[in-house]
Amino acid sequence: MAFALLSIPKRIYKTLANLRTGVVLLILVVVASALGTFVLQRPVTDPDKLQAAYSPQTLRLLDRLTLTDIFHSWWFLTLLALVSLSIIFVSIERFPNAWRFYARPYRKTDSHFRAANPYRVEIPVRNADQGLNAAEQALTGLSWPVERIVENGEPSLYAEKHRFSVMAVYLIHASLLLIFLGGIIDGVFGFSGFMAIPQGEQRNVIELKNGKKKQLPFSVRCDSAGQENYADGSPKKWWSKLAVVQGGSAVESKEIVVNDPLVYRGLRFYQASYWIDDKKVDGLRIAYSGLDSKVLPLELRFNQPVKLDPDTTVTLVEFLSDAFVRDGQVFKKSDSMENLGFGLEVASRADSSTAKLWLFPAEGTVLGAEQVKYQFKNPTSAKDIDFSPVTGLEVSCEPGQWFVWTGCVLMGVGLFVAFYMVHMRIWAIAVPDANGRLVLWVGGAANKNKDRFEQKFAEVVDEVRNEIERSTPTSRPPEREERERPELALMNTK
Amino acid sequence: MSTRARVTQIEPPAATGGNALLVMVGLGVAFLLIIALLGAAKAGGNLYNESNLLYVALIFYAGAGALYMGFGVTGTAKYVKYASICTAIGFVANTLAVTHRWYLSGRPPFASIYEMLLSFVWTLALLTLVAEKRFEVKIIGSITMPLAVVCVILMQLLPSEVRPLVPALQSTWLHVHVTLAMLSYATCAVSFALAMMFLIKDDFSTDTFLAWTSALVAGIYAGIVATRFERWGGLSVTAWDVQNKSDVFLGRGVRLFVTIPDLGWLFVIALIGALFPLILYFLARARHDASYLAVANKGVFVGILLQLVVLGAFVLRVRDSSYASPYQEGIYPTSLAASPFILGGMVTGVFASLLYLMLLWRRNDLQDLLPSADTLDRVTYKTICIAFPLLTGMIATGAFWANRTWGSYWSWDPKETWAAITWLVYAGYLHMRVTRGWRGRRAAYFAILGFGVVIFTFLGVTYLLPGLHAYA
Repeated sequence: MAFALLSIPKRIYKTLANLRTGVVLLILVVVASALGTFVLQRPVTDPDKLQAAYSPQTLRLLDRLTLTDIFHSWWFLTLLALVSLSIIFVSIERFPNAWRFYARPYRKTDSHFRAANPYRVEIPVRNADQGLNAAEQALTGLSWPVERIVENGEPSLYAEKHRFSVMAVYLIHASLLLIFLGGIIDGVFGFSGFMAIPQGEQRNVIELKNGKKKQLPFSVRCDSAGQENYADGSPKKWWSKLAVVQGGSAVESKEIVVNDPLVYRGLRFYQASYWIDDKKVDGLRIAYSGLDSKVLPLELRFNQPVKLDPDTTVTLVEFLSDAFVRDGQVFKKSDSMENLGFGLEVASRADSSTAKLWLFPAEGTVLGAEQVKYQFKNPTSAKDIDFSPVTGLEVSCEPGQWFVWTGCVLMGVGLFVAFYMVHMRIWAIAVPDANGRLVLWVGGAANKNKDRFEQKFAEVVDEVRNEIERSTPTSRPPEREERERPELALMNTK
Repeated sequence: MSTRARVTQIEPPAATGGNALLVMVGLGVAFLLIIALLGAAKAGGNLYNESNLLYVALIFYAGAGALYMGFGVTGTAKYVKYASICTAIGFVANTLAVTHRWYLSGRPPFASIYEMLLSFVWTLALLTLVAEKRFEVKIIGSITMPLAVVCVILMQLLPSEVRPLVPALQSTWLHVHVTLAMLSYATCAVSFALAMMFLIKDDFSTDTFLAWTSALVAGIYAGIVATRFERWGGLSVTAWDVQNKSDVFLGRGVRLFVTIPDLGWLFVIALIGALFPLILYFLARARHDASYLAVANKGVFVGILLQLVVLGAFVLRVRDSSYASPYQEGIYPTSLAASPFILGGMVTGVFASLLYLMLLWRRNDLQDLLPSADTLDRVTYKTICIAFPLLTGMIATGAFWANRTWGSYWSWDPKETWAAITWLVYAGYLHMRVTRGWRGRRAAYFAILGFGVVIFTFLGVTYLLPGLHAYA
């Protein structure tokens, strides 16, 4: 009993270390993810849309089964954790063998290997030295790093390329785990939310995705924001000039556009949207005329007095998006854009009096015009009114993202090495053949892309033959060679 | 040849060395080109523009497809060579169309589903030529060319004007992301074609091909009938706003449908026509009686005729006509452009059935033309070895771009999720192959499944599932 209890962790380990378990887990992940794309997910769907799509009973059932938020449900995260564990355990299981292969390469062939290796040729030589020297020369000439090995007094050659590529598969899996790690760090420590800043103001509170609010230790001020359009009126560019304000002074500023965020202390502020606040006006372009009846243009900024003559200033002091007048008093009616009203204050230094006027462009009337000697005209088009822009910023803090990007780069490297770098090996040894003749046995192996290696091997063999011929004082009759070549082709077909 | 296989063959036409088809395809291509030229000359304006070039590409791709089919019917090996030439000419026209669009818009053509299909077809044709020349898989075009034709037809229907890029899309990373996507998807398409070739070479039973072809066609029509069949036999199609060249929307994402009376019944008949061989196949298996299969093969032939009738009726009824809508009072126009996927599905069905007939009649010739099963298996693996790193790069650059634009590198949006699923399927293929030694059939099934997922990710997700990837 105790034995069985003790063995449970081991059994779990063995189960997860099995590739078949890994594949089953992956299939489950695939099925769950696919399900998550067919069922509407709460975090990205409006509640109204969800209610329109499913009946209340169905929705309750889906909610209870956590199917409306699969990707954040405990069981999906558990599944991902099990996949990670499976990758780790399978790698642990397989690593020692791979490491042995890597750290102690098979450098000297034995007779069984020589008889079975698919890529092999036997070239007659006069003595061992002649064969090995020729092979060494040939391999060096073809830029293979060659080693001469002497074991039990028997010399042989070993050359290889790209041995590290056999370890690339571990790099790939490690990088995948690194990406997961980055995701976990961001899931635990990261946050993301939204921040809307009207032009000229500063904010330090983020509305998080889960509805909570988060206070920042600094504020972000929007100095200006705007939109540029294409000729057809669709938006081309949104920009805002942001400044980070800490302790009353701007410590950093940047003009951001979509795709180019402001980064401050690990927080990223993205230009996500841009709109006009119709409750607030920054400026107004109108016309006025004085006693001489000459009509002049007038540009007003909110709360900034403009001099009309040395004694008189006018200031835009109030804006109502829906105003109504009763008994000569102006009231706010609603928040919608119905009847715009602009309140102007005209101050005269001569008699230190102020008068308040109201412009109502929709009705084309001016309230209180009789109080002043100037005549103010209503703005004539919407272009004359500068509504205050608001910039919408997506804010996110992703401390784990560098793990993710490192993982991606490592995976790219790993995939390249694993798929396109071939571990190639070549052995040469002088041995007697089946008829007792001394031959130079040359063999090769590659772990992938066998057709390419076939060519490379043929190249090496050709070069070795040439070298042997060159080092043989009297030229041999050629028929020997012709018999060898078809043999090479024959043996390589498998 | 086994008796079973002999029974399943309905009398194949004798192999002729005739040039009849070559002449016919040549005349057809010339005729279409002249008609197009006359049309363009009459309308005035620039001959060298994108839609003309694309039309030329379509004609030549279709010509290549016809020649592969012709090879299927007559067994003349010469046709394959000319088909390859047609592919090459189509590819040149396609290249010019891409460069013209690039030149006009001043940016690579990757910003809408139309532009992405344009790049996809281009890559597909390129890889087809590479596979033909480099790997000697001569008839791979018989699968990739019909695919290219379906895509170009779809493109003719999709809105094609050059639209300015919305702010989120103005990023170099977008171009890298989409280039990688198109390269990997086209590579996956080629690996799919190679896997099919492998199954043909590997004596995968023709009857099973029959079952799968019928199932595919039945699936297409069942999908259409299930979603579009209205009461009293009508067929719903999306209403088309002629002025704005877009679907008519009732609300955000809610399309207005109009009903074409009686057309629904035709689709039901085509569905039955596709189910008929499938049922006979199962009967043949259950009763171990191959005579059912001979009938089933005739059924496929009849099925193609039925599909062509339905396709013709659909095109005639939908083209620039107006119908009443059950959802809103009034009569609304519709257009072929409003139903690109119904049309694409129907054309796919016709091509799939024709390819099956080609296989049925010319299996031995096909097998003679193909390299060894072993080579095909290895080349399939090679293409996936190319596609997989490309897929990985596509997902990584997509995540990086999303992070720069929306502030989050992974948000489980349907497109992202399905890209990950595609990646996992191919990862599964590689694991099974490397560690379990899966070769041959099982590996080929996996490659075919992988491409199915790719198609769903590319087109299915865009049109069936909502998400951030609204523009593509």
